[in-house]
Amino acid sequence: MSTPRLEAFLAKIYVDEDARRRFLADPRGEALRAGLNDAEVAALETIDLVGLELTVRSLTHKRAG
Amino acid sequence: MKSVPTTQTDCFGLGWRRELAAEVFTQLDRIDVVEVIADDFFDAPTRARRSLRTLAAQVPVVLHGVSLGLASSVAVAAKRLGKMARLCDEVQPQFWSEHLAFVRGGGIEIGHLTAPPRNAETVAGATANLARAQQIVGAAPLVENIATLIEPPGSDRNELSWLTDILAAANADLLLDLHNLYANATNFGYDPKAFLAALPAERIRAVHLAGGKWVQARGTQRWLDDHLHDVPAPVYELLTLVGECVPHSLTVILERDGQYPPLASLLAELDCARDALALGRARRAANRLEVAA
Repeated sequence: MSTPRLEAFLAKIYVDEDARRRFLADPRGEALRAGLNDAEVAALETIDLVGLELTVRSLTHKRAG
Repeated sequence: MKSVPTTQTDCFGLGWRRELAAEVFTQLDRIDVVEVIADDFFDAPTRARRSLRTLAAQVPVVLHGVSLGLASSVAVAAKRLGKMARLCDEVQPQFWSEHLAFVRGGGIEIGHLTAPPRNAETVAGATANLARAQQIVGAAPLVENIATLIEPPGSDRNELSWLTDILAAANADLLLDLHNLYANATNFGYDPKAFLAALPAERIRAVHLAGGKWVQARGTQRWLDDHLHDVPAPVYELLTLVGECVPHSLTVILERDGQYPPLASLLAELDCARDALALGRARRAANRLEVAA
């Protein structure tokens, strides 16, 4: 697994609303399209969705401030 | 860079915020130290940096970084560390600190302290980044545990193992944020006191206190570290436990980022912190007497 590649993907879905929407609709497909390998895709397929939503909400709130 | 205090004199202070500054200047007899956000001064005009030096001449200052991203698997840019080095040279803080977080990836700035995958790559990345930080700044930072609302994907170990692995590999000391510990323990179902007891007490050099609130998504509640509310009682209990575990002096900082109450309320919280830590110190002394008897 390449952690830098995983970090880059996480940064993208935290910040980019369109990328996040595509990911939530099709986690595996979006991760594969981003060039992630099987281990990285597997890590993202089981992502903590509650945590993702709350993290994004917290981030968006601060940017709006 | 001044050395971290080692005598048994604990210091208590506040995060330096512009909204509080005028009042804080009138209460310096009740504030031992102020914590300044370093990043706010990296590209500040000369006048602002001069005012910071003036502040540091009146009250002990510690510098707190928020955007280095030390715990990424990717190297922190030397330019960012250079800015911290210049500010430390100017201000001569008692110490500087930064979070074990990743804040950018693939060229994207997250604008948020986020938990990296807890695995061997980020332990190695953090260790290398801390070595570079010490080399460029001239002193190693205290590293801070962060609050997270998400279990980071790609992890192969829990937060405690990941944190202690980094402390050992980098020979780093810890700025223990007790509210972050409380929030993560609340959200992910572990005992914060057991977590605290498993930390290397000799590495805990400073403590953060803050408050938060409940937030909800998909029918699930989690505790948000928002720095907008009073310190909750369980965090003071953790501070007492720190006093029982840690033999050396500590710097304790109360963080508040908005919805400011009157300064008297914040000073009252600092007094609660003094009492909580003193209680732990007293218990430690009593335990040592019992053992000696």
